[in-house]
Amino acid sequence: MDSQTKADPMRVLVTGGSGLVGKAIEHVVKQEGGCLEGEQWTFLSSKEANFVDLQQTRAVFEKYRPTHVIHLAAKVGGLYLHMKENLHFLRDNLRINDNVLQTSHERGVTKVVSCLSSCIFPDKTTYPIDESMIHNGPPHDSNFGYSHAKRMIDIQNRGYFAQHGRRYTAVIPTNVYGPYDNFNFENGHVLSALMHKTYAAKKEGTPLQVWGSGTPRRQFIYSLDVARLFLWVLREYDEIDPIILSVGEEEELPIKDAVEMIADALDFKGQIVFDTSKSDGQMKKTASNAKLRRYLPDFTFTPLSEGIKKTCDWFVNNYDIART
Amino acid sequence: MDSQTKAEPMRVLVTGGSGLVGKAIEHVVKQEGGCLEGEQWTFLSSKEANLVDLQQTRAVFEKYRPTHVIHLAAKVGGLYLHMKENLHFLRDNLRINDNVLQTSHERGVTKVVSCLSSCIFPDKTTYPIDESMIHNGPPHDSNFGYSHAKRMIDIQNRGYFAQHGRRYTAVIPTNVYGPYDNFNFENGHVLSALMHKTYAAKKEGTPLQVWGSGTPRRQFIYSLDVARLFLWVLREYDEIDPIILSVGEEEELPIKDAVEMIADALDFKGQIVFDTSKSDGQMKKTASNAKLRRYLPDFTFTPLSEGIKKTCDWFVNNYDIART
Repeated sequence: MDSQTKADPMRVLVTGGSGLVGKAIEHVVKQEGGCLEGEQWTFLSSKEANFVDLQQTRAVFEKYRPTHVIHLAAKVGGLYLHMKENLHFLRDNLRINDNVLQTSHERGVTKVVSCLSSCIFPDKTTYPIDESMIHNGPPHDSNFGYSHAKRMIDIQNRGYFAQHGRRYTAVIPTNVYGPYDNFNFENGHVLSALMHKTYAAKKEGTPLQVWGSGTPRRQFIYSLDVARLFLWVLREYDEIDPIILSVGEEEELPIKDAVEMIADALDFKGQIVFDTSKSDGQMKKTASNAKLRRYLPDFTFTPLSEGIKKTCDWFVNNYDIART
Repeated sequence: MDSQTKAEPMRVLVTGGSGLVGKAIEHVVKQEGGCLEGEQWTFLSSKEANLVDLQQTRAVFEKYRPTHVIHLAAKVGGLYLHMKENLHFLRDNLRINDNVLQTSHERGVTKVVSCLSSCIFPDKTTYPIDESMIHNGPPHDSNFGYSHAKRMIDIQNRGYFAQHGRRYTAVIPTNVYGPYDNFNFENGHVLSALMHKTYAAKKEGTPLQVWGSGTPRRQFIYSLDVARLFLWVLREYDEIDPIILSVGEEEELPIKDAVEMIADALDFKGQIVFDTSKSDGQMKKTASNAKLRRYLPDFTFTPLSEGIKKTCDWFVNNYDIART
C-alpha cells in the first residue's frame, strides 16, 4: 500500500540534509522555486536521527511520514580516512542503507532516490565509465569498504523492484564541491580541503602544501547543479538503474588546474608545493554523462572557475560555521 | 585480544551445523578422527540460535566461547526460490554474516572460515573461473540477492584484516551434494531434488520429470570431501583470499549425466522427461581447482557415481528424517 494518493502533494524527507548535497537541495527548494505548492520538505541531520540505529530511523519516518525520500546520509570522508577504516565505512553504511530502504518500503514510500558516487566504479576498467559498468570489477582499494556498501544500494533497489515492485533508484555524481562541504584538511574532499589549505597558507604566509602529485584527473560538479538534477530525478526519472550526474568527459581536468583556480579565487600568491609522498588515489575515473544528456540535452552546468569562486567566497564569509 | 592462548585446544563453533556441509563436517570430526585431543566441537542449528538476530548471536557465542568458527549458516534455497525472493535472501544473509563476523571479532575469535558458493561468480566471464575473479562482473540474475550477500563476506574478511589484523577467510565449493541435504522438489539443490523426484517416480510408477533441459554443466563435489577439505582450511590455510573447493575442470558434466547415475543408483527404469519450459539457470560455471591442487596435489575426491550411490542409499534409509 502506498502512503500517497493522487491528491496528496509530496512529503519529501532528505536524509543527510545538512551535508554538501543536502544543503544545496535545500537552497534549490527554498530559494529557486524547487518546491511545488503544498509540498513539505524536511532536511534531516544526524543530530535528529542516527540511521545506523533502526529504532531511530523508524521514529523519524513515523514523525514525518514521507511519501518520497532523498537518501544522502552516509558515513563519508576523504581519501586518507577511508584508507584507515574500510571496515567501519562498510558496516555503518550497509546498516544505514538497509534501515532507510527497508523502513521506506515498510511505510509505502513511493520513491527513494539514493546517492552513490563515482568513486565506487571499478578501478581496472575502460573509459569512459557508464551506468552499466558499476559492478564489473573491484573498486579502488583505498575505499573498498565505502564503495561496496554504496554499490549494494543498486542491488537493494533491484531487489525491492523485483520482489515488491518498488521504484527506488539512485544517482551517481562525480566529484561534488560547494558550500557546506567538509573543509577539514585530512577528511574533507579534494577541492574543499584545498580551499581551506589555501586560505590558511595565505593567512599564515606559508607555501600551499598539496597532497599528491596534482596529476590525477577529475570531473568536478557544483553542488547546486547536483541539486537541480536531483529534483529532476525525483520527479521525472523513472528507471531503477542509476544515472550518472556529471559534466561531460571534455571537462575532466588534472587536480593541479583546479588548484590554480582556487589560488586565483582566494588571491593566493605564495608558493604551491606538491607532496608526492602522499597518495594520489585513482589517477582517473572518467565518467560518461551520455545518459543524462539523452534526457536533458540542454542542461547548463556551472563553469568550474565560477563554482570555485562562489564556494571560496562562501567559505571566507562563513568560516566560523564551516566544517573545518 | 585473542580468546586463545597457545596451550588451549580449539573450541570450534560450526554455524549451520545441521545442514548439508555441517553434517558432513560433524561426520568427519566424530567418525573419521577429524577432531584432535582436547578440542570441543559444537554444531549449531537454527533451532538454537537465529543468527539474523544480534542478541541471539551474541548469546550463543557467550555460551560456547569459540576460539574458531566455521560459518555455514545462511538462508539458502534452490534456483526457483531464489528467483522469487532475491531481496529476502540479500537482507537476511547480510545480517547473518555481519552478526557472526562482528561477534567473532569482538570476542577475539582467532579464525573464521565462511562458506561462499560457486554460484556467486560473474555470469559473463571467461572460463575456468578462479578465486581472483569473484568480483569481476554481476552474478547470474536468478540469485543476485544471495550472491551479493555471499560476495560481501570476502569484502568483510578483507576489512577485518585491513583494520584489525584478523585472519578470517572463506571457501568456495562448487555444487555440493550428500546426506542431510534439502531434498525438497522446489527448494532443494539440483541433485537432491532429483533424487527425491526419482524415488517418488519409482514409487508411483510415473515418469521422472526433470526441470530444465539437462544440458547445463556442473562440477559436483561430495559433502564428505568438502568437509575433509574444510578441516584442512581451518587448520592449515593461512590466506585471507578465498579458496575454491572443487573437483577438476575435467570432471564437469551435464546434469543429464548425473540424472542417469541417480536412476542407476535407485534402480529407476521408467521414462525420463526434460521439461524445457522450466529455467536452466546458468549453462556453465566451470571453476578452476588449481589453487587447491597447489596446496594438496594428492587429495582424492569421491567419484560422482559412488557419492550419488551413497547419498541415494542414505536417502532411502532415512526418508522419514530427510528434509523433503
